[in-house]
Amino acid sequence: MTSYRLRVILWVLVAIAAIGGILIALQPPSPPSRESDLATIGGPFTLTGSDAKPFSSARLNGKPAAIFFGFTHCPDVCPTTLARLVKLRRQLGKGDDAISIVFITVDPERDGPAEVGSYAGLFGAPVTGLTGKPADIERVKKQFGVFSQKVEQPGGGYTVDHSASVFLMDRNGHFVATLSPEEGDAVALAKIKRLQA
Amino acid sequence: MIFRISPLALLLLASCGQQEAADIQLSNAWARPTVGQAPGAVYLTIENKGGEADRLTGAFTDHAAMAMVHQNEVVDGIAKMRMAGEINIPSHDRIEMRPGGTHIMLEGLRAPLRSGDDFDLVLKFRNSKDQTVKVTVTNPEGQ
Repeated sequence: MTSYRLRVILWVLVAIAAIGGILIALQPPSPPSRESDLATIGGPFTLTGSDAKPFSSARLNGKPAAIFFGFTHCPDVCPTTLARLVKLRRQLGKGDDAISIVFITVDPERDGPAEVGSYAGLFGAPVTGLTGKPADIERVKKQFGVFSQKVEQPGGGYTVDHSASVFLMDRNGHFVATLSPEEGDAVALAKIKRLQA
Repeated sequence: MIFRISPLALLLLASCGQQEAADIQLSNAWARPTVGQAPGAVYLTIENKGGEADRLTGAFTDHAAMAMVHQNEVVDGIAKMRMAGEINIPSHDRIEMRPGGTHIMLEGLRAPLRSGDDFDLVLKFRNSKDQTVKVTVTNPEGQ
C-alpha cells in the first residue's frame, strides 16, 4: 500500500517535471537585457501630467529628453540629480528648449499630479513632473528597466530604493545613453551634446 | 565626505603628552527648498579641531518632527537611503556632508523650506556638548 502510494507520487512528480520541461522549451527566448539591446529601452507611454491630464510621450518628441525616475519624498538623490540636469542644460548654453528634463515618480501613492508639479517647480527652470496610476507607472518602469522598492523606515513611513540613472533620449524618443551619478560633469555634458547632433 | 588626517597633526598629537578634548565646529549648513509634506536634507561641515575623536550621535530641530542622520549610497545603480549609525569625527579632521552622501534628513517639517529661510539645527555628540548651527535654505546651482 505504502509503496504503491509512493510510486503514484513519484509518477506524478515525473509528469510535473515533463510538463514543466515542455513549457520551458515552448517559451519564447527571454527578452534581451538592457545592456545588450538598447532599442528595447523606452518606447511610447502615457502618464499623467501635473495638470492631472494625460501626458503622452509623443509630446517629448522633437527635442531630446533626460528622463529621471524618483519620488518627491526623496530629499537627497532626487533633487541632487534634477539640479545637476538643470546645471548641465545651462552649461550647454542653448536655452531651456535644448533638452526636456522629465521627472517620473516611482511613488504614485504619495505623488499625485500636484505633488510632482510642485516638486518639479523647485529647480528654477522647466522640469516636467509626471505621475500615473500605479499600473501605468509599473508599465513605464518596465519599459525603461527601472527598479524601485519601498523600504519601511524605523521612525514610520517609508523610503524608496530606486534606479539612480538618468535616461537620455533623442528627439525621436529613442534611448541613447544613461547618465550615472558617479560620472563627472564633463562626460555627462559630452553625452548631452551628442544628443543635439 | 572627506576623511583626511594631516600627518602634521598626527605628529603633533604623538608629541603631546596629554590629549586635548574634541573641539567641534559646525559650518556651511544648508538645505534645499522643499514642497508639501516632503522631507528635507541638511548638509554641513563638521570640523573637529581638538585632539580627541568624537561621534555625532543625533540631531534635532524645532522645525521638524524628526531629524535623522542618513546615509545615501548607490549600489549597482540603485540609490538607497538608510539611517546612519553614529558618525565618527576624527581629531583634527572634518566631515563634509555633500549631496548624494551623508545628510541630516528632516521628516515632518513644520512648514516647507523656502529659499532664503533659515532655522536652527542642534547636533548631539558623544563627548562634546550640543552644538547649534544656523541652516540656510538655498538652491545652489548643480549641487
